Amino acid sequence: MTGFSLSAVLVLAALLFAVGLYGLLSRRNLIGMLLCVELMLNAANVNLVAFARFESGDPASGALLSVFSIAIAGAEMAVALAILVAMHRRRRTLDADELNELQG
Amino acid sequence: MNADPVFLAVAAAMVAGALGTALCKNVLHAALSLVLCFFATAILYLLLHAEFNALAQTMVYVGGILVFMVFAILMTSRLGEKDLESGAGRRAAALLVSGAFLFAVVQAVSGAEELLSLRKAANEGFASFGDVGRLLLSPAEGGQLVAFELATALLLAALVGVVAVARRPAPKSDPEEEERR
Repeated sequence: MTGFSLSAVLVLAALLFAVGLYGLLSRRNLIGMLLCVELMLNAANVNLVAFARFESGDPASGALLSVFSIAIAGAEMAVALAILVAMHRRRRTLDADELNELQG
Repeated sequence: MNADPVFLAVAAAMVAGALGTALCKNVLHAALSLVLCFFATAILYLLLHAEFNALAQTMVYVGGILVFMVFAILMTSRLGEKDLESGAGRRAAALLVSGAFLFAVVQAVSGAEELLSLRKAANEGFASFGDVGRLLLSPAEGGQLVAFELATALLLAALVGVVAVARRPAPKSDPEEEERR
């Protein structure tokens, strides 16, 4: 028997999301920023599963929604990493501050 | 707040992994901290009785995405290289934004009376493999077959796109390029 409430899981997910947001905003390495985006996606998935468990008319569909979210996150990360590898080949750097070609 | 020791331990592992991901100087160490965070998340899914999600989390995230991440890190960074340092101003701004976000969400969650009254509406086996698998492949009303097929098409398109983007460009042989040289 598990003895924790929905609020506890929601606060935990918010904490994970906040940590991911901090990392995304404070890091300069593009791969590091991508890792933090993963962290935020993971926090959102925790929310989906928690709501499917605690309050849902159709709990199995709720759990399935987070599986689709994981699949799309996988596709997104593959594309993002491919872009980073191509960019590293061209520019020899992964510093987000160096990518300012579009700056007016 | 009721304190289930297993939940607290899992939550502590998740937060520790997240902090390591956000704060580690070395990107490889950050990726390994993320492995810890994702494993702890899979255990949290088991505590929530969502077995299918726990398995998908472990296989897709830990087995797939993070291995890919580690390969990308090893391909793009020289080992032992110091990571790019960010300034104190940027870190303070990031702390401000994420702290404000956390404060707002915790306020909203703790203020909502209806959240506290909810008690495990779903039965224990609500996301068992059989149920989720039948739902995923059922073409009937409420089934997710169309979404499942769309997801497979999306993943295939993403894989082809990844190969096209990351491939080393073929040696140029078109006449305009030759003239410019």
